[in-house]
Amino acid sequence: MSNKPGTAGRNWLPLPVGSALIIIVAFILLKSVRPVIPHSVILLYMGFIVLGVVIHITLEDTRIRRFWDFFLAQPGEGGVLKVQRLAMLALLPLVAGWWAYDSVRPTYAPPVEIFQRHPTVGEATLAQIVVPPWALVPANWRDSDIAAGKVLYVANCAICHGDKLDGAGSAAPGFRYPIRPANFRDAGTIAQLTLPYVYWRLTIGGLQNQFNSAMPRWVAAPGDANASSLHSNDFTSDEAWQVILYLYRETGYTPRAE
Amino acid sequence: MGWTADADRRWMPVAGLALAGLLIAATGPALAQSAPIRDYAEPALIDSRLAVWVAAQLHLDFAAFVLAVPMFALAIEVFGWRMARRDPAGAARYDWMAHEMARLLPAAYSLTAISGAFLGMLLFSAYPRLMAYMTETFGPTFVIYPMFFVAETIFLYLWYYTWNRLQGNRKWVHIVLGLLLNIFGTIVMFIANAWATFMMTPGGVDEAGALISLYDAVWNPGWMPLNVHRLIANITFGALLCAAYAAYRFLSARTEAERALYDWMGYTGNLIALFTMLFLPFAGYYFGFELFAYSATYGVTLMGGVLSWLFIIQAIVIAILFIGAAYYAWLGLLRIPGSEPQRRMVPVFNVALIAGFMVWATPHSMAASIEESTGQFHPLLGALGLMAPKMIAVTLILVVLYVSYLLYRRAGKVPVVPWARTGTQVEWALIALMALIILGLGIYGYFAPADIRIKTSIWQILVLIGGIVITFGIDLALLKGAETRAAVRWGTMPRRGQYILILLAFVIVWLMGLMGYARSGARLNWHVFGLIEDTSVSAGLPTLGEAAIVVTAITLIFFVLLGIAFAISALSGRDTLPEFGDEAREAAA
Repeated sequence: MSNKPGTAGRNWLPLPVGSALIIIVAFILLKSVRPVIPHSVILLYMGFIVLGVVIHITLEDTRIRRFWDFFLAQPGEGGVLKVQRLAMLALLPLVAGWWAYDSVRPTYAPPVEIFQRHPTVGEATLAQIVVPPWALVPANWRDSDIAAGKVLYVANCAICHGDKLDGAGSAAPGFRYPIRPANFRDAGTIAQLTLPYVYWRLTIGGLQNQFNSAMPRWVAAPGDANASSLHSNDFTSDEAWQVILYLYRETGYTPRAE
Repeated sequence: MGWTADADRRWMPVAGLALAGLLIAATGPALAQSAPIRDYAEPALIDSRLAVWVAAQLHLDFAAFVLAVPMFALAIEVFGWRMARRDPAGAARYDWMAHEMARLLPAAYSLTAISGAFLGMLLFSAYPRLMAYMTETFGPTFVIYPMFFVAETIFLYLWYYTWNRLQGNRKWVHIVLGLLLNIFGTIVMFIANAWATFMMTPGGVDEAGALISLYDAVWNPGWMPLNVHRLIANITFGALLCAAYAAYRFLSARTEAERALYDWMGYTGNLIALFTMLFLPFAGYYFGFELFAYSATYGVTLMGGVLSWLFIIQAIVIAILFIGAAYYAWLGLLRIPGSEPQRRMVPVFNVALIAGFMVWATPHSMAASIEESTGQFHPLLGALGLMAPKMIAVTLILVVLYVSYLLYRRAGKVPVVPWARTGTQVEWALIALMALIILGLGIYGYFAPADIRIKTSIWQILVLIGGIVITFGIDLALLKGAETRAAVRWGTMPRRGQYILILLAFVIVWLMGLMGYARSGARLNWHVFGLIEDTSVSAGLPTLGEAAIVVTAITLIFFVLLGIAFAISALSGRDTLPEFGDEAREAAA
């Protein structure tokens, strides 16, 4: 390997400055994407980018030497290089300081929710949900039930979940955090789930905690301590099943087998 | 070797087995008692779940190591044996390396037995009712298991201690011993896997849990996928630990020859790990697929629910493994003086690998604050977080790793075949075509319905495998009799490469611990899924943060114990190092 002494001094863009520029430009680009990329994802990406830069520098012995040589004053070096070195030496503690400040400064935002698309429910809870015989087999679903489900859906659900079941109801933009009403046409929602799970989600499983979801409970089981006066008595159990059948028939999906 | 040195070494396994026997004997009465069986107890005076968790994971780590090392050490031994006639010096080197890897086994084997005994004792005393049920269901396997375990023990020590005696014409006897060791070891693992998978996907029992068919209880839906997954993962695990050991010996080597040999051993360990790692994602999909087929709850829990974020952590950790292994391989080019043309390509690979892993680790749903949340999938990241882009990313990453390996083969060599120029052009054109097809299939799959998307991802893998087979065939023919401009200078690997090997060993142990938590945690509130509910005070699923702390602690304990085991094995003295001159180094490369 050739290592010419003083290479760092003649280079108009020394390796540490080039590396810092790549990291800074990547950060600015990621930050300028709209809608904003969440901080957690930017942190992840920047971790990979910094790793890539470190790998690049340490792959060759000459590069490592060039990297460290930059921080040592060379006799007869130009003013541009000196400015760059001072800027780098100032930048590093400033970034570290800002990071420390940013991680402890007070904020009034609610805690970041690690959103779970399909909240976990115990098998025992699901086992208690009995699918009525008329809802069990998609081939045997009656048109009358689906028609009844449609009426109920349009009257109660469509304002959030949309007339087209695409999650774009007129009230949907009002829900921003942590997620908008579900888009049933997306392959990641009801197409992935079993009938008892969807029933659980619709009737009791919507609201997990104060930050998780605005989906109300729609069916009050006898003696349900969590039933509220808002919507909990709006559907009977059979009506909830009719709505579910409508969701599947209208989107063309079938429930996942248990 | 003198008699005293042998005797010194032999007390360890015997003591380990004696202790294991004592512990098993101590737990025996718990089974024999006719008094009513309690549900739970706290024999370790700490949370029993935590105690069992630590014991089980440590046992699994040691077991994975002692199962895997004989597999590839035997393969290396056979490789050396086959070349004995045409290249005795080369054969001696391979034999040395296989023996050096096997050297780590006796002490690690004792720790496997001891941790297994602790696990058994804790399980029987902390979960009496569960273990009574498991004993009732799996009684005969509980009898067969120790028999195979003893057989494995006998053959392990026979294989290890007869190494120097069974050389030359009697080498085949030694190979047979190693083969039997591997067969018994695999059976032992398969039996234990039956118990573990029965708890996840019980079969062969009626709705009340009464045994109908022991065969179906053993061959339950999760059994074979876990067997395959663990078999491959163990080899990755064992190879990386051997590589870390070699790195340690490289760093502490006193002579050039020693450094050269351990450099070669570390390189081999990393290569084995990298090769087996290629198959692991697919073995993982197979296991996950069977779990999902068994109960949709598993699918929801693992992929959409409470454990979904664990898989983002897993993706990052796997990325570190691949990037680390690739970095080590690229650094390896520094060993070859004439490798400048190849080294010029590395920055391009680096960018491709980092970009690929950024896509691979992009979460579909993200952790967003209220200011950041749009309430919808992010238009850009939501698209990258899907299966199709991730498949493109991961398959192209594998292409990059493969091309890195091809360049490593080419470094310092000049092909002599008359069609070398055309052959190289065809080879590169085929690799480019392979990458383009993979990309095209991925883009097509992105816009296609889910069922077609799954098929395109299978096609991507087939194109990758087919492309590798064809181009590697061309490469073998191209480099046949190639002129060597500069030989690999083993022992000149930068020290940072050795630290990377040690880091990779730490990462794989940690990853194994994390996935142990995922496999066990996926059952949620069940000891045996759907049959025996966990009603203990610690039934709740630990948070990811808590799990990460426990897994880190287990990893540290494992390395302390393994370090002690290695130090003990070093007490037995060192073999004479085989010759590793320039010609030999070239042959090894």
